[in-house]
Amino acid sequence: MSLIPAQLTAGGARPFQVWVQTILGAIGPDLRGDNLDARPPPVNLGLIAVLCLAAAAALLLVATGHGAGRRGHETMALLLFWSGVVILILPLSLRIAGPRVARGERFFLLFLLVEALFLYKVLHSPTSFDGHDEFLHWIAADDLMTAHRLFLPNPFLDVGPSYLALEILTTAIVNLTGLSIFAAGTLLLAVLRATFVAALFLLYERLTGSARLAAVGCLVYMGCSTFVLFETMFSYESLGLVLCVLIFAVEATSRTLVGPPRLKAAGLIVLLLAALAVTHHLSAAYAAIYLGAVAFFEVIHRNGPTRTEARFAVFLAMVAVTLPLLWMEIRGTHIGNYLGPVVESGINNLVRKFHGLFSLHHSAAPASSPSPSEPFGIRLITLLAILLTAVGLATGFFRSLALAAEGRTGWLAIREILGRRWRDSRLVLLTLLAFGFPVSIAFRLSGGGWEIGNRMGTLAFFGVGLVIAVSIVHYWQGRAQQGWWFRRAPPLALAIIVLGGVTSSTINPIQGHYKVGADGHSVEPMGIDTALWTKTWLGPGNRFTSDRINRLLLAGYGRQDARLAVFQGVDAGRVFMSKTLEPDEYWALAKGDIEFLLVDLRLSMALPVLGFYFEPWEPRATAPPSAAALLKFNNIKGISRIYDNGYIVIYDVRGLHERS
Amino acid sequence: MSAPSHRELLAACVWATALVAVATVSDNVLERAVLGLPMVLFIPGHALLRGVGIRTTSLAEHLAYAVGISLAVGIAGGLVLNILGFLTPFGWAIWFWAITLGASLMAVRRHEDANWQPWSRPAGLRRWHGVAFALSILVTTGAYALAVRDESNQQQFKYVELWMLPPANAGPGQLSVGVRSAEAQTQRFNLEVTLNGQSLAIFRSLALAPGETWTRKISVPVLAANQKAEARLYRLEDNSLYRSVSALVPGS
Repeated sequence: MSLIPAQLTAGGARPFQVWVQTILGAIGPDLRGDNLDARPPPVNLGLIAVLCLAAAAALLLVATGHGAGRRGHETMALLLFWSGVVILILPLSLRIAGPRVARGERFFLLFLLVEALFLYKVLHSPTSFDGHDEFLHWIAADDLMTAHRLFLPNPFLDVGPSYLALEILTTAIVNLTGLSIFAAGTLLLAVLRATFVAALFLLYERLTGSARLAAVGCLVYMGCSTFVLFETMFSYESLGLVLCVLIFAVEATSRTLVGPPRLKAAGLIVLLLAALAVTHHLSAAYAAIYLGAVAFFEVIHRNGPTRTEARFAVFLAMVAVTLPLLWMEIRGTHIGNYLGPVVESGINNLVRKFHGLFSLHHSAAPASSPSPSEPFGIRLITLLAILLTAVGLATGFFRSLALAAEGRTGWLAIREILGRRWRDSRLVLLTLLAFGFPVSIAFRLSGGGWEIGNRMGTLAFFGVGLVIAVSIVHYWQGRAQQGWWFRRAPPLALAIIVLGGVTSSTINPIQGHYKVGADGHSVEPMGIDTALWTKTWLGPGNRFTSDRINRLLLAGYGRQDARLAVFQGVDAGRVFMSKTLEPDEYWALAKGDIEFLLVDLRLSMALPVLGFYFEPWEPRATAPPSAAALLKFNNIKGISRIYDNGYIVIYDVRGLHERS
Repeated sequence: MSAPSHRELLAACVWATALVAVATVSDNVLERAVLGLPMVLFIPGHALLRGVGIRTTSLAEHLAYAVGISLAVGIAGGLVLNILGFLTPFGWAIWFWAITLGASLMAVRRHEDANWQPWSRPAGLRRWHGVAFALSILVTTGAYALAVRDESNQQQFKYVELWMLPPANAGPGQLSVGVRSAEAQTQRFNLEVTLNGQSLAIFRSLALAPGETWTRKISVPVLAANQKAEARLYRLEDNSLYRSVSALVPGS
């Protein structure tokens, strides 16, 4: 029953009133979905087979696109790659979100899509890790394999030694199977992807009681900008997030249990929370926030839970908060030092952005980096996906709340919720969590707040998935909506949302020629060969410093002790970028213990794509450094140029130490 | 009432025992991968779910929980084995064996049957479905192989490496000089090595095919003072200086 205010419905339908009625009808809390899960059709194996073939063909197109990109045929690469992505996502999304599909079929197709998207990521770099964060964990895993000890320092990731779960599991596989770290890590990630989508499906299904809602919710989650690449990297959040959603799923299941089964479920949650505490700080924070908020809603809830249930929720919340803190205390990890500057800078950027919007005086924009511009169509899909997500949230928010209400429909259900009466606190929480989406977009638009927005999106999309699923099933595909538009458009919109997740996941997903300061796009065979040369001819463990990319290659492939700073307080960037070697820089090289400098002359070819050559906090360059500045070490007494390949030069600075 | 079936738990224990044996004696990656991967990712979790008696309502739920518990067991194993100084293949195999065996014994003592609904073959499975699935796997493997081939063929930069290592790396009283070609065609060079500006060695008409490496060790006299050694590579086609490197020969 719709409770539109009487003054709006009475009398003649003036344009304004009609408009208001239409808006209220769209956003209103009516639940119009028919119970299709009750009459599930049999699994359509023929269609599944065809969709498998389509996904395989799509991956072949993606691989061909990468190949064209590697050969420098950019237009062909774009065409092949993006047609592959569309063929991969569109048919599967249309089927998964369809109204009359068997539960098992939805489940299988979700697995197919999530694993195909994982292969999409693997095809970018099929034999090695190439993401910045992946290198950090690969190096840590390699150190663990070499030393057979945990908690070895990681100069690139201060908190890394405290969160080694991914490396532990990967090296367990390597130890038992003899596979390489890359192969072991990739297999582990493939299993993690499947587990993530299974747990998310179970969570949504448990909360809504509908496999269709669960499948659509999972599909929407794939539209999160972190899903396709960030959460599939060989990095601790990929494991942390899986443990996190498993905890949510077990917790949601446990609410219907009583007695010993509930205690066992609690034991399982505590075990997973303990594993999460040593896996990833931010995912542990997500779990603490979620379980803390569930406990809060259970406590303020009027007619629902017994005191035991509220106590149970509070206990889990306390464990979720205590275990990560305890681990940090044991390890002496100061996460505030690591995350604090990122959060502070993000908030400052957001505030400045808002101030800039309303201020008449605009400050001069900093010099921009030559980020590769995305094709118009790709940007359009990203924008369209954001717009559709917003429409889905607007038409699903109150309906999702109404789903949580007990026994009431329409706006009365919302009144029940406001009166703190609901049937499941998790539904209310996830619905409110969807509010994080617009906030995350605001952060992402603020440049410096991109990192916060990105991470926030990961958590907010648990809510976004639910709300949009409710919107689609109970409004766009609801009983009242008839005709092609309302039946076919929602799955198409979902496909666009998932496509938006792919287009917004990275600036340039296609392999191509080397780019300066572009992380994965700066990793190419010559840099790898040079790093391997250092291991072969100098041996491992020499103290090197270089730019951001070559440091990773030196530490990863070269097994060198690559450092960020030349001396305490003197970053490598300062020494490399200055036109001449100033006395204090000379002093730092002479007094420090750096043995070799690796200079990549390609830095002089362009401004860095990501905005920095060495570290994110370095002053933004307005022009690339000159080759002469990079080669200034040629004429310094005590420094020898021991390696040269025309692009990369290695200097031996050990002679300076003797002089000092 | 029939006795509960524990066949899959028995299989898990046999699997874990076989892994201990294989991890100790075999270097066959395939054998070890077949036994090791399920052991890290699924079997201990399944055994613990049965052992503790956590009831799941569907196969999907059971699989997801089993993987989650296995991950937690693996992480705990890493921490425990680190304390014991036993982070080795044998240590890992023993850890998973102990967990699987212990959990299976608990399950047997609990006298409870597995509670999930067994997976049944979907009705209507035709031959062409199987062909289509097989073809999908084949095409996906082809896509991966294509990506690997394209990656290995990618060589945007063509270059020649020249290096000179000082006695600290080449050996006492010696310099190590090397040239490696990553060009597309064979190239010819002259190489001159000097010590404090005086010619020490000359290597003429070095022909380097793509991927070929040329190295020499050159003895140098050790003096009281430091000396500077240099190597200059000249391209034969135009006799121009192509690369130049140097090394410090420390004094005695």
